[in-house]
Amino acid sequence: MRGLMRSKKNGRLAAATGVVVAITTVAAFSVAGAQAGSARSSAGEISGAGATFPAPLIAVWQQRYEAAKGVKVNYNAIGSGGGIAAITQKTVDFGASDAPLTSDQFGSCNGCVQLPWVLSATSVMYNMPLKNTLRMTGPILADIYLGKIKNWNDRRIKSINPGVSIPDQNITVVYRSDGSGTTYNFTSYLNTVSREWKSKVGKGTTVNWPTGVGARGSSGVSGVISRTEGAIGYADIAYALKNHLKFFAMKNRAGRFTRPGLVGIRAASQADRKFSPTNELSIVNPPPGKRFLKAYPICTYSYVLLRTQSQKAALLKPFVTWALTTGQQYGPNLVFQPVPAYVVARGKATLKKVHS
Amino acid sequence: MVTLAAALSGLVLLILIARELLTAAWPAMDRFGLDFLTTKAWDPNKKLFGAATFIFGTAVTSFGALLLATPISIAIALFLTELAPRGVRGAVGILVDMLAAIPSVVLGLWGILVLGPFIVHTLAPALHGTLGFLPIFSTEPSVGSNVFAAILVLTIMIVPIISSICRELFLGVPQELKDGALALGATRWEVVRGVVFPYARAGIAAALILGLGRAVGEAIAVTQVIGNNVAIHWSLFESGDTLASRIASQYIGADTNLQIQSLVYLAVILLVFSLVANVLAQIIVRRVAGRHKPA
Repeated sequence: MRGLMRSKKNGRLAAATGVVVAITTVAAFSVAGAQAGSARSSAGEISGAGATFPAPLIAVWQQRYEAAKGVKVNYNAIGSGGGIAAITQKTVDFGASDAPLTSDQFGSCNGCVQLPWVLSATSVMYNMPLKNTLRMTGPILADIYLGKIKNWNDRRIKSINPGVSIPDQNITVVYRSDGSGTTYNFTSYLNTVSREWKSKVGKGTTVNWPTGVGARGSSGVSGVISRTEGAIGYADIAYALKNHLKFFAMKNRAGRFTRPGLVGIRAASQADRKFSPTNELSIVNPPPGKRFLKAYPICTYSYVLLRTQSQKAALLKPFVTWALTTGQQYGPNLVFQPVPAYVVARGKATLKKVHS
Repeated sequence: MVTLAAALSGLVLLILIARELLTAAWPAMDRFGLDFLTTKAWDPNKKLFGAATFIFGTAVTSFGALLLATPISIAIALFLTELAPRGVRGAVGILVDMLAAIPSVVLGLWGILVLGPFIVHTLAPALHGTLGFLPIFSTEPSVGSNVFAAILVLTIMIVPIISSICRELFLGVPQELKDGALALGATRWEVVRGVVFPYARAGIAAALILGLGRAVGEAIAVTQVIGNNVAIHWSLFESGDTLASRIASQYIGADTNLQIQSLVYLAVILLVFSLVANVLAQIIVRRVAGRHKPA
């Protein structure tokens, strides 16, 4: 009996030892593997995480930059909020966010800087069985998202679309349910065109939507739109084009109806030349005037977030400089407009603050 | 010794999780207090957060699903134990159990692609047309993301859980009892009502609470189909949101610390809900089992 107990105990002990040995072995191998991996890429490796909006361009940069400089860039497109959290917790070397950091976020991300490095536009998509491209204005769009205009045959929608017979059809408003830089861009625009929107809802990556249904990610929003006749929603222009969704020509303050595209983004890109102390730029709804005749009103810069003190500074600074200059030429294919010279200059000046 | 450690580790883990949640949620709990439970707003810009709409949404979707799943599950279990021929039992039983193996994200996708359009074009017009006088069917949906879709998805999730437990319970009813009832001239239905149900009563109650717990806690599939709207509607064809779904959709992209703390506050409420449900289940099982001791 005693012997049996002893042997049982030994058995347990052996099993426990086995588990420990197994875990240690696996851990040892994975560490060895990681070391071998880093030894292979001689020039080094940097990691980033954040917004999905610049992700297609960053994917091209990863390939080109590794081919040119031998530095491997990892990027996880987990969303702007996730990128901000990751750089705050120092789990990545750079973060990316479509919305500039709030003062709260700068407070918790002690010693962080941001600089604009990518430029594109948000499209307002719709699902209506009409051949013509429909036109839309900011104030009407705001009233639709406020729930005040509920039907497509509304007098105001008809009046800006002369010659188009718009049927009686309920409008379904669609928005992003997750925190999103695209939402920030879209609501910033509504903020500038509607006083009621500004006081009732405001701008942000998540807002208190007065009406409509939420969906997760650009894919969720466009999915609901494509399955729902009469739906309106928003996503970055590259996404709308890739998925063959219809989007509005938006009226700018010069009185023209413009479509989101490189021409419209380029025209809007210089609407704000005054950087805030934290490098923030807002180019939604550019002022009227000849310079902004072709401007598309819902454009945005997207930001890269860095720590002023970073162990990887020697690798990070050349990469971000390259992205701001050489890297921009890969943008137009993906509907990213190269950032203007004054943004590049400001970016380079900001990078001087980053050190190891 | 090892088993005791394992048992204790479960308890310790629960306490640690609860402590971590309370710590993370504390600033929001301190700021909003119990008013959080009755506040309907969820407005990051105004720094105002409340759980009322999500508590309502969680209650409606989980009890709705339970209401639909209970008769279906019990009927499946009865069919498989009392009525179906031997060959059919195994096959159908496995198929029903396999429903439980569908990952919730896949079920959510099915909800978006198949169930949503079906509700909009077929189910909702029919229900609204015939039962439109009821508040729960008083509107027609324009979009497939609504509370009713969430209820149906949850129903599909919890039916296999409840039915497989019930099947085991019904199989456990001693044959002598059933034979005795039959010998006294009872019909098959009378055997079920007079012998099987009373014998399995405690177990059925526990199975229902387990199903309810699953429905209350489900996040991903619900967030895919419910429409994530912060509002209280009586009509099931409007969009809504639940506690778990709100946490799943907004935790990653949350902007401010207050929003994160408020989301964790939602998680605390969810944890309390689940614990209360579980304790209730234990009490029911004990009380009913005490009154009716199976041999």
